Amino acid sequence: MPSPFTPVVFYRDPLAALKWLERTFGFETSMLVTDDEGRVGHAEMSFGDGRVGIGAEWGAEELIGPAHMRSPASLDGQGTQFIRVSLESGIDEHCARAEAAGARITQRPADQFYGARVYRALDLEGHVWNFDQDIAEIPIAEMEKASGLTIKTSL
Amino acid sequence: MDVPPISPLIFYRDARAALDFLERAFGFETRMVVDDGQGGVIHSESVFEGHVVMVSGPPPAPKYASPLDLGGRRTGSIHVQLKDGIDALCERARAAGATIEREPADQPYGDRVFTCFDPEGHAWSFGQEVEALSAEEMAAATGRKIATSLDAH
Repeated sequence: MPSPFTPVVFYRDPLAALKWLERTFGFETSMLVTDDEGRVGHAEMSFGDGRVGIGAEWGAEELIGPAHMRSPASLDGQGTQFIRVSLESGIDEHCARAEAAGARITQRPADQFYGARVYRALDLEGHVWNFDQDIAEIPIAEMEKASGLTIKTSL
Repeated sequence: MDVPPISPLIFYRDARAALDFLERAFGFETRMVVDDGQGGVIHSESVFEGHVVMVSGPPPAPKYASPLDLGGRRTGSIHVQLKDGIDALCERARAAGATIEREPADQPYGDRVFTCFDPEGHAWSFGQEVEALSAEEMAAATGRKIATSLDAH
């Protein structure tokens, strides 16, 4: 069953972003909508069974209020969401490839108390990409013990 | 595997209020809340049709912010593809306090779509297929060029 969710991220230069994301993370462009002047209206990339939308900062994104969609590059690097990408295997190699292609690695691959190995990278305009790979199934009680945090299973 | 291969983590000033809104407005269900010990939420999971979005807040400065902190500006949005019931979901969202930006309407690319903002200004779009169109048919209907790879660029 495919996920109903597609996160969309906004760039000053979406075409450069598409090329960068293909080269650096191995994503594939599956749809690229352009107008007569070649401006990107909307694009979608796939990575395994996952999808992510790529939009332009300003007027071309017609579905949602154009004036407020910004790249982190226009907000002193700030972001209102980050994107999690779950890998089945090969996270260390994925990180090495990304770094060689120019990604800024902000967190090196490391095992986390919740049973995943995780690394984080910034893309060319400052969006944060969080890559993880399951390494163990950890019961909630053990996660709480390891982290000192309280974990509930409902609101 | 119910965590989608690509999923958003969305930052809110008040993550608990956001999780409550996602339940009331969109019918999501909170299945995990990790307390930060200071009234905030480090990590949480909200489920729809077996798939997860993550919510956290207050956002750790200086890298992350709620649209409330940025004058309504945002660096991402979330699209949700529905199987059915898009008009009813729009009414449910409106009743729960969502700001409907675009009312449900059939789009030339074959989907019925509405868009809205949640109480902190994150943008959500909801779509439901009305007619399955090929890329060529979408291009003809919208007057745009539609490619299925970067090859020409």
